[in-house]
Amino acid sequence: MKIFDKNFKEIFFSQLVSIFGGLIAGTFLAIYTDKLLLIPGMLILIPGFLEMRGNISGTFASRISSGLFLGVVKPKYHETKLVKGNMWAATLLGIIVSAFLGLIAFAFTYFTMGTLAPKIILLPVIAALLTDLIEIPLTWFATIWLFRKGHDPNNIMGPFLTSTGDVSSVIGLLVAMVIL
Amino acid sequence: MNGNGFHLKKIKLLKHLPKSLNQLTKIKRHKHHPLLHHLHKKHGISRKTLLYIKEYGPHSHVAMVIIKESLKVLLLASILSAFGGFALEEIKTLFVSIIPLVILLPALNDMIGDYGTIVSSRLSTMLHENVVQKKWWQTPELKELFVQIAVVAMITAALSAVIAMIIPVFTSGYDIALGNAMKIFVITIIDVAVLVSILFFTSIYAGLRIYKKKEDPNNFLIPITTSIADFGNMAVLALLVMLFF
Repeated sequence: MKIFDKNFKEIFFSQLVSIFGGLIAGTFLAIYTDKLLLIPGMLILIPGFLEMRGNISGTFASRISSGLFLGVVKPKYHETKLVKGNMWAATLLGIIVSAFLGLIAFAFTYFTMGTLAPKIILLPVIAALLTDLIEIPLTWFATIWLFRKGHDPNNIMGPFLTSTGDVSSVIGLLVAMVIL
Repeated sequence: MNGNGFHLKKIKLLKHLPKSLNQLTKIKRHKHHPLLHHLHKKHGISRKTLLYIKEYGPHSHVAMVIIKESLKVLLLASILSAFGGFALEEIKTLFVSIIPLVILLPALNDMIGDYGTIVSSRLSTMLHENVVQKKWWQTPELKELFVQIAVVAMITAALSAVIAMIIPVFTSGYDIALGNAMKIFVITIIDVAVLVSILFFTSIYAGLRIYKKKEDPNNFLIPITTSIADFGNMAVLALLVMLFF
């Protein structure tokens, strides 16, 4: 049985990238625990919020990659109808899912603690908008760049986006806290 | 002329190709229309390209198509994550006082979700290639996959636990007692080991059942395993924190 083969190396190194991003995001959470985690319902919101970012950006990168391989998306940095449509979809999905997560957290805090905290609905929506400003152009540029360099973006973008997504989401939440 | 008003003989000619491709966008998404098959056969256009044109062709509203298809899955994933979060919210005061665990939370969620995706996609490929034997536990490729994932998971879990305990020492002067450091290390290892095992055996059980029903395991296993990973990680973590602290 070969354990330490090419597959092992690929899984191991992609996991290192993924862990790196997760630990940076976790460090931000730990430093700003009093501002973020102590808000009622935040532990319900944060895991879903971080995961959502990876899911949305990951599928965005995967659709662009498929388009690049099929030749329907050109490996150039200009926005076509297909790319624009993808960007709009990723932005809107982020806002809708964030609002939904905010509603779940709001309902939980209301029914279990009797606390009315409407801020928890608005917070993820603003954070999602701020995160979208970084993540969506980054995903698009990185996918095109990797393809132009001869790599398969599908193999690299997954762990890369979960890492950047975690960090930008936590920063987005902190900035949203300051705004609110 | 067929039921949907497409002239199948005409589209066999290359000069009608652009028009035929436009017609693809009018076909309802869930229908396996013969037009797709004809275009593939007669013009040698790959099925993936035809699917892409059908979904995101010039007459389709790209953003709406994506939102319609993705929203349900994303909302379901959010609900499951939120359920996992309920468990942690219940022990919030205790949990946030253990700073290394707060640092570890996003990394563990990512890590376990990734293992779910790797196991699901690799197992689906094995099923399609008929590599999995009737007595699945005797399949060498499956044994190899399990050992590989287990080894990577243990190394990365140990590494992230150690880093998560070092970071707060430098960022906030957090003083961690040896006993608590050991507890955090053991919690991380048990959490990852339990969830990787659950993910592996659930994937095999569900994968074999789905494959027997002549469905593509790819379409079901990844959502199943990532959901188990999200919900499971936070639930198991909350349970272990209550047990150890």
